[in-house]
Amino acid sequence: MSEQAPELTALLAESSIRLDQSAASRDEAIRATGQALVEAGAIDEGYIDAMFERENSVSTYVGEGVAIPHGTLAGKDSVKSDALVVLRFPTPVDWDGNEVSVTVGIAAKGNGHIAILSQLASILMDPDKAAALRGATTSAEVYELLQSDEDDD
Amino acid sequence: MPERTVTIASSVGLHARPASLFSQAAGKTGAKVTLTTSAGKSVNAASILGVLSLGINHGDEVVIATDGDNADAALDELAALLETDLDKD
Repeated sequence: MSEQAPELTALLAESSIRLDQSAASRDEAIRATGQALVEAGAIDEGYIDAMFERENSVSTYVGEGVAIPHGTLAGKDSVKSDALVVLRFPTPVDWDGNEVSVTVGIAAKGNGHIAILSQLASILMDPDKAAALRGATTSAEVYELLQSDEDDD
Repeated sequence: MPERTVTIASSVGLHARPASLFSQAAGKTGAKVTLTTSAGKSVNAASILGVLSLGINHGDEVVIATDGDNADAALDELAALLETDLDKD
């Protein structure tokens, strides 16, 4: 049996879905995303510095109005458990010239984030799903969108 | 169509930072570049989401292909990128 990718929904606590956020800047949005991960018990505050380090190195904007801030490899020690948070900004944030409506914060130990990123990316590649995520107003909608497809390959 | 088979050198695979650098470079070639895994899944190399969705690991073999006038030069450049450890912080 092949190793299954982690269920995204299992990594996302309901209290980690925040659909009415506002941020005046990219950095504020990253800090809010990091704070949500701290409150989820997934990371130490030190990880937030690693998130800024990553962002300043290469942008985590992935298109479709979504950014996926996460820490550098150096930040791994600050991760207590794998987790996702989803923050929605009804007023989009200027992210280095791109408009970001949703941040999906990721905390992962070891190489866990590769599988997480891969699943997330597969979902966001569907423009309808990406649009639905940008417009989500309930946690239930978010969970439904992040549910992996039945046919895994 | 010209192509290259490359082994991924980035120590943690083609995840966010290496994937971004590779995607940006693919976009800059001005040609349509495809990235195909050994399992046969293909994406547009310039799509960061596409590249991320493949979940490529360190040591995986991938094929990059493109055509057009500068195909070989573009492929050489992209192959060199993939064969470098883009993850060196």
